Amino acid sequence: INKAVVDRIIRVDHAGEYGANRIYAGQMAVLGRSSVGPIIQQMWNQEKAHLKKFNELMVAYRVRPTVLLPFWNVAGFVLGAGSALLGKKGAMACTVAVEESISNHYNNQIRTLVEEDPEKYKELLQTIKQFRDDELEHHDIGLEHDAEAAPLYSVLKTAIQLGCKAAIFLSERI
Amino acid sequence: MAAAGSLRRAGWGLWRGRAVVRWQPCPLQRALQASAVLRSSSGGQQKEPFASSSQFELHPNDYQPEGEPRGPHPSCSGQGEQESEDCESEEQLQQRILSAALDFVPRLGWTAEAVAEGAKSLGLSVAAAGMFHSDGSDLVLHFVSQCNTRLAELLQQEQKQVQLGEAQRKPVDQFLRDAVEARLRMLIPYIEQWPQALSILLLPHNVPASLNLLTSMIDDILHYAGDQATDFNWYTRRAVLTAIYSTSELVMLQDSSQDFQDTWHFLESRVADAMSMSSTAEQVQSTGAAVVQGLMGAAVTMRNLVGLNQRR
Repeated sequence: INKAVVDRIIRVDHAGEYGANRIYAGQMAVLGRSSVGPIIQQMWNQEKAHLKKFNELMVAYRVRPTVLLPFWNVAGFVLGAGSALLGKKGAMACTVAVEESISNHYNNQIRTLVEEDPEKYKELLQTIKQFRDDELEHHDIGLEHDAEAAPLYSVLKTAIQLGCKAAIFLSERI
Repeated sequence: MAAAGSLRRAGWGLWRGRAVVRWQPCPLQRALQASAVLRSSSGGQQKEPFASSSQFELHPNDYQPEGEPRGPHPSCSGQGEQESEDCESEEQLQQRILSAALDFVPRLGWTAEAVAEGAKSLGLSVAAAGMFHSDGSDLVLHFVSQCNTRLAELLQQEQKQVQLGEAQRKPVDQFLRDAVEARLRMLIPYIEQWPQALSILLLPHNVPASLNLLTSMIDDILHYAGDQATDFNWYTRRAVLTAIYSTSELVMLQDSSQDFQDTWHFLESRVADAMSMSSTAEQVQSTGAAVVQGLMGAAVTMRNLVGLNQRR
């Protein structure tokens, strides 16, 4: 297998799931006791399962985690809590933005792996496809809960997606 | 010179990645070498040394001892899996020369002279040393990479034995101690010249390769020790083990005790320090959490006393 490609993929996905975990943690800290609490908790549980899977893959493929993990720890929590302080719709808008970024990112990775060799990477492809479907589900849940009615929705969405792109770029390399 | 440069760059490929090419001499090379030796020693008696060489005729009259360093073989690179008998890749040849040169290091140091002597001992011209860098870098890097490979094999064998139930799983501190000791013991035959090797490894143009070798060796040790960290601890543990290894190596350089006992004691103390460091960190964290809880309790009490917590 192409060690360099798999290395990058697992490192950035691990960082992504770790960040998503922290975002939901931040949102729960603010909105845990509100009406959307249970929904956020459910999405958070799925992200925890994703992170667990990537932890296993990281050990199996002997991949180095990104140095920026402590930074994503804080930044993710701040983003989650910050968006939640804008209200339930703000939190949902953040979810929509992040999940859209992550789904696109997973799609890119699926394309890369399929171009390389679909047979060799069958298991990894299966995992990423499954996770991409989960993230799309979260994206749709966010839309269902009036994400688009959030204050400054388009500005928020653009800013968050830019941040996600930067995070993906850095985590792949550092 | 350009050819030598390109050959050297081909050699760098070995040290870029983690996979280390191991030296594998081709059977025919050994047969030719052996037959040349036999021919010169038995004074014309024509013996067929290997039964397996019945497929080709060895005519000592036809055999020309190699006076020139072998140039690149275009047919070798296209062989792939089927490395045909009369074809040895450049990398394999370079590996053989450097491995042979190691025998001359105690006498000549990590220098181009040692490489030249190594080439001569294989029956090649001393000009073969021109394939390598003139300051002995290639020799040192080859040795380090060879040691790392041996260590990885050792650790893998140990792991197999534990999996088969033939051996007990060692506690982490003992595992680390044994692994570092095994790796440092590989330096013992060359310990007099090791300071020179270290200074070569620190040359700016060697730093990327030597850093790569060091980090992959430390990663191997921790992997076989069972490290499954996926957070920042991954970096902390590797940094700590690198420090343990490097300081123990330096202590070994000026150790004059019997069988380097002082070095192993030093290593034991450092590993014990590292183990206690992690438990100290946990203690600090739990103490900190307890202190924070205490302060929160005090704050709530104050609010109660002042009456802020009442709902009216």
